[in-house]
Amino acid sequence: MALLQTVQLEHLPQSHSIHIALYRNLQNAAFLQQQLLEGNTDYEYALIDASVIVSKIHALAAVYRAVNDLLANRLRSRNVHSEIVFSLSPNNNISESFRRFGIQPTTTSLLLIKVSTPTSETSPSDLSSRLSTQIQGDAVPFTDEEIGTMTDLGRVRKIYKLNVPGGGGKKKDGNTAEERREMEMLILGAMALRGATN
Amino acid sequence: MIAIGLEGSANKLGVGIISHPGPGKPAQVLSNIRDTFNAPPGEGFLPKDTAKHHRSWFVRLVKQAMIEAKVSTRDIDCICYTKGPGMGAPLQSVAVGARMLSLLWEKELVGVNHCVGHIEMGREITGAHNPVVLYVSGGNTQVIAYAEQRYRIFGEALDIAVGNCLDRFARTLEISNDPAPGYNIEQLAKKGKVLLDLPYAVKGMDCSFSGILACIDILAADLKANPNWRDPITNEVITTADLCFSLQETVYAMLVEITERAMAHVGSSQVLIVGGVGSNERLQQMMGLMARDRGGSVFATDERFCIDNGIMIAHAGLVAYKTGFRTPLEESTCTQRFRTDEVFVNWRD
Amino acid sequence: METPTVPPEPIVSQTSSTPANLPQILTYPSKTPPQLITQGAEALLYKSTYLLPTLPCALKYRPSKPYRHPILDVRLTKHRILAEARVLVKCRKEGVPVPAVYALDESKGWLCIEWIEGEVVRIRLNEWLRRRKEAGTEEGSEEEELVDLMGRIGSAVGKMHGVGIVHGDLTTSNLMLRPWAKGVMNGHSSEDGKGILEGEIVLIDFGLASQSTADEDRAVDLYVLERAFGSTHPRAESLLKEMLTAYGKSFKGANVVLKKLEDVRMRGRKRSMLG
Repeated sequence: MALLQTVQLEHLPQSHSIHIALYRNLQNAAFLQQQLLEGNTDYEYALIDASVIVSKIHALAAVYRAVNDLLANRLRSRNVHSEIVFSLSPNNNISESFRRFGIQPTTTSLLLIKVSTPTSETSPSDLSSRLSTQIQGDAVPFTDEEIGTMTDLGRVRKIYKLNVPGGGGKKKDGNTAEERREMEMLILGAMALRGATN
Repeated sequence: MIAIGLEGSANKLGVGIISHPGPGKPAQVLSNIRDTFNAPPGEGFLPKDTAKHHRSWFVRLVKQAMIEAKVSTRDIDCICYTKGPGMGAPLQSVAVGARMLSLLWEKELVGVNHCVGHIEMGREITGAHNPVVLYVSGGNTQVIAYAEQRYRIFGEALDIAVGNCLDRFARTLEISNDPAPGYNIEQLAKKGKVLLDLPYAVKGMDCSFSGILACIDILAADLKANPNWRDPITNEVITTADLCFSLQETVYAMLVEITERAMAHVGSSQVLIVGGVGSNERLQQMMGLMARDRGGSVFATDERFCIDNGIMIAHAGLVAYKTGFRTPLEESTCTQRFRTDEVFVNWRD
Repeated sequence: METPTVPPEPIVSQTSSTPANLPQILTYPSKTPPQLITQGAEALLYKSTYLLPTLPCALKYRPSKPYRHPILDVRLTKHRILAEARVLVKCRKEGVPVPAVYALDESKGWLCIEWIEGEVVRIRLNEWLRRRKEAGTEEGSEEEELVDLMGRIGSAVGKMHGVGIVHGDLTTSNLMLRPWAKGVMNGHSSEDGKGILEGEIVLIDFGLASQSTADEDRAVDLYVLERAFGSTHPRAESLLKEMLTAYGKSFKGANVVLKKLEDVRMRGRKRSMLG
């Protein structure tokens, strides 16, 4: 049974709501990725490898960007769901972003996001029942605590180039709440700029 | 009280006679005449030639101004002259003339800061009580706000004045300097439509024009070498009118921006534009749009007062004279560098 | 008038909080309506929330300027939003105290950044000066708080310069005083009535900032701040040297900049002024 959370993000139209589910111990990663590659419309979700997510806000920021771009008619990828994955990226390389953030056969923690729009409405109950058959894994609540246990900090730092020597003079092992928050701040900035650095 | 004002810091020699009838009553312009020295197209005016012009016109203009004002030397209370800033030789010529009148008529002298002259005249004519002032001319570009007995410079051109930039471009294009190079650029710009990409150099509260001048000079040379240069978007042939248009749109946007910054910082909604470049209609229009957007208004004077003139010197001088300010003969020097904020504005609180 | 959780500056012009001045995203619903904080020369600043109602943010919106040619306007707006974001991100990465960047949309002219609690130095300083005047305190006496503030400003500016960023618009409206984090008093006292100049300096409004290590640019940055003090707080001008002393200690090469500053000051006075 999915523990689906429905979020209404600030400053998005009421018509666009977000459904989020988080899973551990994913069993059918390869299968799910295959559905995506084949464009199976039953699997139109953002399927994100949760090990590169540091917090709820991190994920939601990507959602906001993607939905905002959808509303402004400037998606760079196939649909709003693939756009969410792309929006996690610090640069404009779309295929690289799928490799880094999207589901891979090796993915064990999965963050699943479904955007409900006026042209493609999804109700939580429908979604929930679909997911219980589609996703083979242990559903957990979408919280910072759960996500925190899934994050591969080393990979995250590498992707977002966060190993800056002399940055604030602090030791970077990223384990205190303050350090994580600061990391999150830097990630949001990198996502916002997406490739427009200098 | 009545004062005569003598201005010659650049290529305009102006003589004005002003009357301050009494407290609460507006000042009266009794006469305000001027003669401008213009260099031939493609050239700028040189100090030596300008001073010569001022010397040859001085007596003529003073006599004429007295006749028009219907005053005699007895009626004059003081002789005001531009102490600075400006070009050395022309300033000197007028200062010599002022000293001569002072000794001849046995009247006291008042040395006036040219910029303060513009500001005080602008305030008097427009009635704007405490505006942010944009002072723009061939030699000056400053954004000024009054605070605690000084006209404080909030922002300015870091290299050359905007008027200088426009004048030099007029020289590049070899257009006439008569009546003023900036005026002719303005007329040409009205026929332009293509907005070229020019460097936009606003640095904080200041701005800089030498970069944009260098760029537009290069574009003018490019245009001369390739008259069929077309705008990639509209495919229209680019003309010198487009160059003038682009230059104006960009430099005026810069000026409006630094003025707006000052207004935001000081919390004012009124702008007063003074100085020769202030007579430009497009600049006034742009400034007006900005001021209205902020719920305020723009004040500007016409060419009688915008462009260098003697009446503003008479006015600012008389205002200072009434507070007891005098310039003894020994101190009636003139100086090329005289910052607006050096003047102690004790006639305002 | 203790430190209220009220906008750092009063709303300047009522006529401008019309829908035309709201970026489109703020017209979409949120749990709390956006609050116009200030209308600066270039942009409007709103307090709002980002993503969740629990995350306050500052939304900087650069509306198009009616006086600018439309092409110039779009070009400038995009350029400035991106430039500001880049500079903020770089500063934050290096530990310079600035707001974090949350999101942006350069085509729509908005930048969403971390909300900083506190007030701008300009307001606090004027209040401090006002209180002293009211209390009849002699100028030049009991100024430790101000000296300390100037020192903190010098250090923060120095840190920023040290990472290769020049602010471009250093005024006392672009320096904020954020309340010290709980338990971190850094030896500062917090007696009632005093403490109005307390807080961590946070640099804001990097709309005209640039990436530069040139001494000239850094010196001009300091000069602009000096002049800002001179123009709006002439009574605090005498303590600029405290700021510069702290600056001089803040990074290697800072003293060279201070030397350059003398040149910039002289040049400011010797600029040719004709007609």
